[in-house]
Amino acid sequence: MSSHDDSTQLRWLGILSVLEATTLVLLVAVAVPLKHIAGWTIAVHVMGPVHGLAFLAYCWAAIQSIAEGGWSRLEAARLLATAFIPFAGFANVRLIARKSAALRTGVVQ
Amino acid sequence: MSLATLYPWLKALHVVSAFLFVAGILTTSMVLAAERANPGSAAPVAGLLAKSERWLTTPAMLLVWAFGLTLAVTAGWFSSTWLQVKLAFVVLLSAVHGLQSGQLRRLVRKKALKPLPTLPLILVSLLAVVVLAVVKL
Repeated sequence: MSSHDDSTQLRWLGILSVLEATTLVLLVAVAVPLKHIAGWTIAVHVMGPVHGLAFLAYCWAAIQSIAEGGWSRLEAARLLATAFIPFAGFANVRLIARKSAALRTGVVQ
Repeated sequence: MSLATLYPWLKALHVVSAFLFVAGILTTSMVLAAERANPGSAAPVAGLLAKSERWLTTPAMLLVWAFGLTLAVTAGWFSSTWLQVKLAFVVLLSAVHGLQSGQLRRLVRKKALKPLPTLPLILVSLLAVVVLAVVKL
């Protein structure tokens, strides 16, 4: 497997991280207020499972990436912890971009 | 077409996806175990296994989740204890799959594998999932 594959995998991890955080924002900031203020429960019924699937997909990708190696213990803990901290997925983008850049320059094997 | 009509089809597709998913993680588990016991022995099949992991086992896992959640929603099972316990085991199996997938990528790149005896965990989870789904305790 080449560094191109690793780069693709990291890109997916970044996309899933942002997707997980975004679906949570939509659930908490849009769907829940719509339910309580306007009585529209459909938004929660749709966004709930969508966020659940995005959360599982991100966790799976993070576990796969950590199992492959190349992350320090602190970085691995951060990748996993951000799945449980609301909106923290956005902060992962910089970490993943840094790792991807290090991979391109050959700093990480 | 009503949900009641769709139910047996959803169930059949869920079971087929689960078969493919379990076959994939069991195969990967045993190949990784063989490689740890005898380094270099799994090298000839590593590429093929990585390909089947990407195109068969991972999509099967996604379909297991998609069909399973649809079944649970249509049947109204989310408040049932058996389903909540089953979900915990399915999350565990999915995590094992992620760990093995990462290790498989290491194998393809000829890197040393980490000790990760997943076979007992897979078998116990599989037993629990099947018993809970069939008996619905």
